[in-house]
Amino acid sequence: MTTTQIALDTFVAETGGWVASQLEACTRCGICAEACHFYQATGNPDFSPVWKIEVLRKAYEQRMTLGGKLKAAFGIEKKIDDQELIDWSKLVYEACTVCNKCSMACPMGIELGPLIHDVRSGLAAAGLVPDDLAAAVQKQLDEGSPLGVTDDVFADRMDWVQDDWEVDIPIDKEGADTMVVFSSIEIMKFPENLADIARILNRAGENWTLSSKGREVVNFGFYEGSHEHTALFLQKLIDAAEELKVKKIVVTECGHAYDALRWTAANLIDVPKELEITHIVALMDKFVSEGKIKLKKGVFDGGGGIGFHDACKIQRRGGHIEEPRRLLNILAPDSFRELTPNKEQGICCGGGGGVIAIKEADPYRFAVFGLKIEQAEKAGADTVVMACSNCRLQFLDGIQHYGSELKIKGLSNMVAEAMEGGD
Amino acid sequence: MTWTDALEFLRGPLFRIAFLVFVAGLVYRLIRVVALGWPKDRVLSAGSKTKGVATTYAKGIGIFPFIPWVKQTFNGNAVTFLAGAMFHVGLILVIIFGTAHMLAWKSLLGFGWPTLPVPIIDWLAAATIVAMVALLVNRFTHPVVRKLSGPAEFLNWTLVFLPMVTGYLMTHHLFFRYEALFSLHMLTVDVMLIWIPFSRLSHFVFYFFSRTIHGAQFGKRAVTP
Repeated sequence: MTTTQIALDTFVAETGGWVASQLEACTRCGICAEACHFYQATGNPDFSPVWKIEVLRKAYEQRMTLGGKLKAAFGIEKKIDDQELIDWSKLVYEACTVCNKCSMACPMGIELGPLIHDVRSGLAAAGLVPDDLAAAVQKQLDEGSPLGVTDDVFADRMDWVQDDWEVDIPIDKEGADTMVVFSSIEIMKFPENLADIARILNRAGENWTLSSKGREVVNFGFYEGSHEHTALFLQKLIDAAEELKVKKIVVTECGHAYDALRWTAANLIDVPKELEITHIVALMDKFVSEGKIKLKKGVFDGGGGIGFHDACKIQRRGGHIEEPRRLLNILAPDSFRELTPNKEQGICCGGGGGVIAIKEADPYRFAVFGLKIEQAEKAGADTVVMACSNCRLQFLDGIQHYGSELKIKGLSNMVAEAMEGGD
Repeated sequence: MTWTDALEFLRGPLFRIAFLVFVAGLVYRLIRVVALGWPKDRVLSAGSKTKGVATTYAKGIGIFPFIPWVKQTFNGNAVTFLAGAMFHVGLILVIIFGTAHMLAWKSLLGFGWPTLPVPIIDWLAAATIVAMVALLVNRFTHPVVRKLSGPAEFLNWTLVFLPMVTGYLMTHHLFFRYEALFSLHMLTVDVMLIWIPFSRLSHFVFYFFSRTIHGAQFGKRAVTP
């Protein structure tokens, strides 16, 4: 079977009423473009969200509707070919973070983000994932982690963090209530997150553990859009949770993984109904409101404005919009500034959805990052806080690229630093 | 055959056929889409889907078109927003509250309702036509909309524009005999009705799907849509 055939078959297979009704609702008004940071930053009309789902629409119409079949038969609309799919692979993987802001601009309310994810699924089935991303997926399949966190590396890193930061990190503790799953970005690039989150959980008296089997929450299958790989990586986590008999999984500072585990998993694999899946931001807020940890008020005040970056998968698509704000209003009540737009309307960092993993996408993601610098400047923020390590990586790359003075902080690190009472 | 005979045919049998195709075609489209299947959403909600749906309809119908900066996408799409809103509002008001249209509805439904004064309907019709011209120009000048515009978009535009223009000319007795314009108006209305189920002009039906899905997805996550 040709590449095009496989992609088209996948498009058709995943086109239920949910997809079809939304494709039918589109009036091709183009308003979504203005919501897309890739379009805003470059002015390239190819980057308008509706254009990114053009192949899905064509496939649906040409295969499943009378009008579409006629249009293709009479040559009014070109049939989809391999080259077209290769072109679209660039659009949906390199110039889209699946942040779904476009759905908020659409006058019809079309969920463009999930539809673009469906385009990715078809391309993934046809083997048209960009090389860098495909290599990372392969690495996660082979080694269990896209960043090379093998069994040995995991054990070494945890030993090192426990020694260096003098903090207890329980691993594979049966009978724990909570299983914490870190992203490989945190394990390899932000080890202070491990130490700080461990400290917060220990202080709150949470009965928690890591799992050596379910140690990798990052899901590169979800980035590429392959249902098969996504389900495979999710299953590892659910298996680990069931083996350790935990009641709750806490995803740490990783957005896409949270979207996959919290909002997608139950529709792809069997997830026990009583298993709670939550995000560290929500848990920290809960600890504070329940008095399990106490934070020194205003510790981060007095050093310039502090803005909060809303991560697309944790805030807009995750639902944790108020929690980080409640925390920041304790940590820095006087210096906390809202970036504009914010909350569910926030502008994505530009590195999400796997974009940061694709070298060819660098010019786009850096162009988009210019919007974040502008936002911070307008809000008078010298520091930007976030609760997503993928965003943080993009911010660090971005400020280096632009030579910006902006300071970057992780919310968990700030909370750990502000906890009252020594260790 | 005189214009009067033509008119009798166009507003009589052909109109009924057109209306039938319009209704049956849309029902067929709806059934086709619904029959494609709707897998159950097994993800546990954090918020209320119903609340999300209610909010998005309130915003979508009540606020969004008239307070464009609510969604901060107004700047790059001023023509689409303003002319688009004008077109939809004008079209709906003229079709429902124009006296002649009300009488047509009355003959179909068996009951009537109060209508708007002629000068108001007349200005609304004129504004709607101007809005449509603006939208057409926008299809050529806006880089994104130009990219999205193909033969189907221009055909749709034409088939909606013709009934409006012929209707306007007819009420003002311009250029041609009244019966001739009336006949053209009815002919273009018939063609448009038949075309709607085959085209994106049917978006007004699927709007209720996409809006509901959007509201439910955001409501489920406890995020304001």
